[in-house]
Amino acid sequence: MSAAGLIPRNSLAWLLTAQVVVLLPHLPRLPWWVALLWVGCALWRVQIQRMRWHSPGILLKSAALVAILLGVFLTQGTLLGLDATVMFLLLLFMLKLLEMHNPRDALVVVYLGFFILATAFLFDQGIPLTLYQCGSLLVLVAALVGLQQSAGRNDPARALRIGGVMLLQAIPLLLVLFIFFPRLEPLWSVNMPGGSSKTGLSDTMSPADIANLARSPELAFRASFDGEIPPLSTLYWRALTLSRFDGRSWSQDRLLNNLPALPLDTSGESVEYRVVAGASGQHWVYSLRGATTDNPALRRMHDFNLQSIAPLNSTFGYRARSYVNVQMQAEPLSKLERARQLELPQQGDPRAREWAQALREQHPDDGDLVQAVLGYFNQQPFFYTLKPTPLGEHSNDEFLFDTRRGFCEHYAGAMTFVLRAAGIPSRIVAGYQGGEVNEQRGYVLVHQFDAHVWVEVWLAGRGWVPVDPTFQVAPERIEQGLEEAVRGEGSFLEDSYLSGSRYRGVTWLNDARLAWDNVNYQWQLRVLNFKGEEQMGLFRRWLGTADWQRVGMVVLGLAGGIMLLQAMWWLRPRRMNGSAQQRVWKRLDQRLARLRLQALPGEGPRAWQQRLQVALPAQRSAIDSFFDEFVRQSYAATDSASKADQQQLQQALRALFKVIPRKRPASASYLLQDGPLSSRDKSL
Amino acid sequence: MSNGLRARGRALHQRWLKRRIPPAQQISLDHRRIFILPSRAGLGFLFLLAILLIGAINYENSLVYGLTFLLLSLFWVTLHHSYRNLAGISLRATGGRPVFAGEQVPLGLVLLSPTRERQALKLRWPQSVPQQLDVPGDGEVASTLYYPTTRRGWLQPERLRIETRFPLGWFVAWSLLDLNWRVLVYPRPVKAPLPVHRSGEGQDEAQQIQLIEGVDDFQGLRHYRPGDSRRRLDWRAYSRGQGLHSKIFAEPQQQSQWLDLEQTQGADLEQRLGMLTGWILALEAAGRPYGLALGGSRLQPALGEAHRDACLRALALHGLEGSG
Repeated sequence: MSAAGLIPRNSLAWLLTAQVVVLLPHLPRLPWWVALLWVGCALWRVQIQRMRWHSPGILLKSAALVAILLGVFLTQGTLLGLDATVMFLLLLFMLKLLEMHNPRDALVVVYLGFFILATAFLFDQGIPLTLYQCGSLLVLVAALVGLQQSAGRNDPARALRIGGVMLLQAIPLLLVLFIFFPRLEPLWSVNMPGGSSKTGLSDTMSPADIANLARSPELAFRASFDGEIPPLSTLYWRALTLSRFDGRSWSQDRLLNNLPALPLDTSGESVEYRVVAGASGQHWVYSLRGATTDNPALRRMHDFNLQSIAPLNSTFGYRARSYVNVQMQAEPLSKLERARQLELPQQGDPRAREWAQALREQHPDDGDLVQAVLGYFNQQPFFYTLKPTPLGEHSNDEFLFDTRRGFCEHYAGAMTFVLRAAGIPSRIVAGYQGGEVNEQRGYVLVHQFDAHVWVEVWLAGRGWVPVDPTFQVAPERIEQGLEEAVRGEGSFLEDSYLSGSRYRGVTWLNDARLAWDNVNYQWQLRVLNFKGEEQMGLFRRWLGTADWQRVGMVVLGLAGGIMLLQAMWWLRPRRMNGSAQQRVWKRLDQRLARLRLQALPGEGPRAWQQRLQVALPAQRSAIDSFFDEFVRQSYAATDSASKADQQQLQQALRALFKVIPRKRPASASYLLQDGPLSSRDKSL
Repeated sequence: MSNGLRARGRALHQRWLKRRIPPAQQISLDHRRIFILPSRAGLGFLFLLAILLIGAINYENSLVYGLTFLLLSLFWVTLHHSYRNLAGISLRATGGRPVFAGEQVPLGLVLLSPTRERQALKLRWPQSVPQQLDVPGDGEVASTLYYPTTRRGWLQPERLRIETRFPLGWFVAWSLLDLNWRVLVYPRPVKAPLPVHRSGEGQDEAQQIQLIEGVDDFQGLRHYRPGDSRRRLDWRAYSRGQGLHSKIFAEPQQQSQWLDLEQTQGADLEQRLGMLTGWILALEAAGRPYGLALGGSRLQPALGEAHRDACLRALALHGLEGSG
């Protein structure tokens, strides 16, 4: 890259366009002044180009650098981490406009543009963004072309066309590389951008947490079943168990969590399904009760949930098989475990404790006691609502005996508290319940508003048994989903006007939404989750093996084949000898040869025209206009024909081709028996 | 030592080039004549791709993988486009005209593309300013390149480098061509007082100066012909857009002047030839017939472009091998 030379106007226009399109997807995540800064930089840059303003001096540049570092720190709260790095890069990308003196600087801007384009995919991997970024890429490539074009040229459309053609030509090799390049394990662990702010479950649960989550129409995951989809009311998607209670919120018990997984009886009835979940930045994954999996990235936990070994930093799909009727931990609990599953804070909720004692005395059998608590929820005037009354210090007391208005977390929390107080080991299971069936494609969509918590009780001889107090209060929540359960209240997705889920009643809209969701599902499944098992499965289906050696050979063969074919096509020798006129002449010759008409060696165009006039009298006017044009151009003063001339000649040829017969008619009066026209015509 | 090695290497390279791309007045570029390598920008781009790939692996991000692979494929496609921007072009030398040593010699060149349009072709010699041009599809473009001269005699320019980085700048495709330009370079004129006229003693200084300045009665204008002295061009008319004209001066009847290498003094042959050159130019400008005696050969006194060129040619080639 020669450092000399200025940046042509043409390419500056491309560079500015490229910056805008590359920056746009990032802007919603960034403070407003970033957009303003870009406008300022662009304006300044244009003024530099017009020689109105000077480039900033070293002092101003240093000040700007400090300022953007400060800006990043104030916005992100840190200078480290991906979010801060990306933001810093973005700002540098803008400021580089002012320090862009020669084509090499401009090249740096374009390369930074490629990089920033890639970082957008860390935040969003949807189809719309992907399509948009294809356009951004085209603009960046056009900017590169613009940098190489001669300074005087000013045809931006051509740069775009060249870029577009090249990108299209790159697709075959892209496909081979994408499908066959082995997906490696991460080289080092990284933090997900914006991980903390993601909507979804968390490993602690305070009152109103799940109710807040239930306001979100975002998708949590999708699941497709190998057979029939089980009834929605049985779909209790487990994510994590919460066993520790501090008087206010429930959280995971790390000690219990780290105990070894327990054996699972795999002889009973089972369902097999595949789950595809978006990036959550968390370890837990979603499974039905009694889940097992072959996926090496997952492990079974002590609480019979599945967990990912690495945090889910990208779309993750896995297959699992659940033995839905299995007994979980039927053998007696260890002392430690029993103690921890009974643990309650020293103080708080005295009325609930009292009630638990009363129940204990009434029901010596654990099972009966559980039924009694459920009966209490069923018979007392409890109300299932997304807008529970705020609770005070003794939250379980107030909920159980005063307000009686709550969401699933209130019921599950209070019930676990009472059971523990009564001496029955119990815990909370957090996850999702039910979902929405995409009938056409046969899979289940689970949204954040399907988030749910329920209770698991340990009963001697039966192990952990799931119990859902919410079902006692609002059975429609379990059978038909949240929308039905809160219909009277009108609180379903009341803040999400634009969410498609809110308008499930409108049939065509709902069909369109589900069709689009299926496209997204396939995208997630086949593109975003294309790694590890997916890739291996594809190899096995196509090649009958996933052995890297054989796959490698196929890849090399395919990639080499594509490269060779393309190279042969591009580098094929061209016999473009002669001028445009000569080529036209040749085409006419070939066409007339079909009619057994042939110019004689050394015959001039005028003589040949006269002979043709006789041979094809009906086409005389077309013949004349072609030859007139041909002769006019042949003897024109200029050496090389202009574009307009060439087009005119081509047109005349086409007109001629249109009127002359395609084939030699059987009774061709104008022809001699065989061979070219000969001496008889020559005399004309 | 290293200098010697380098010189040997260069000579080897030139010999190899000569075999591979023999000198010719018209050369069509094909795969044997085109070299192509990634440019520094291209290597930088590969480095960027390596970073992107690491990002894709670490974040297990399919779309970043996809972008990386698309860009890698694009790199491969660019290789062909860069090559194709050069392949198939014909270059034809259209000659140059003699100049005096130290001047830039103009060398004519026509680039012809029988097929596609070609963009951003750069033509240059190592020591000259590069010239960039586009060739229209199925058309040709004429250009004049300038090559610096230092010594008199036949000038054979080095191989011309034609290169392109179009379309994306990631590859540089080039060829080194010898288009068989052969241009005569006259000695660098040296200003010196004319030798004293043999047959006319006692000419005063004033007349000598007058001769050298070549100022005489203005006769009129005629169209510029190649070879006319630049000093006699009517620049004023030219600036008015009336074309290039030369001023004609009356030719006073003068006695012819013999110029001989023996008349010059000094040890340096080049210096002495330069003086002769200067005298010839001065006498031609003054319209005074002159003859040249150079070693054994003699050119009889005469006047006019043809005579002047013959004299200058003799001076340019004096004592050089293969003069003629």
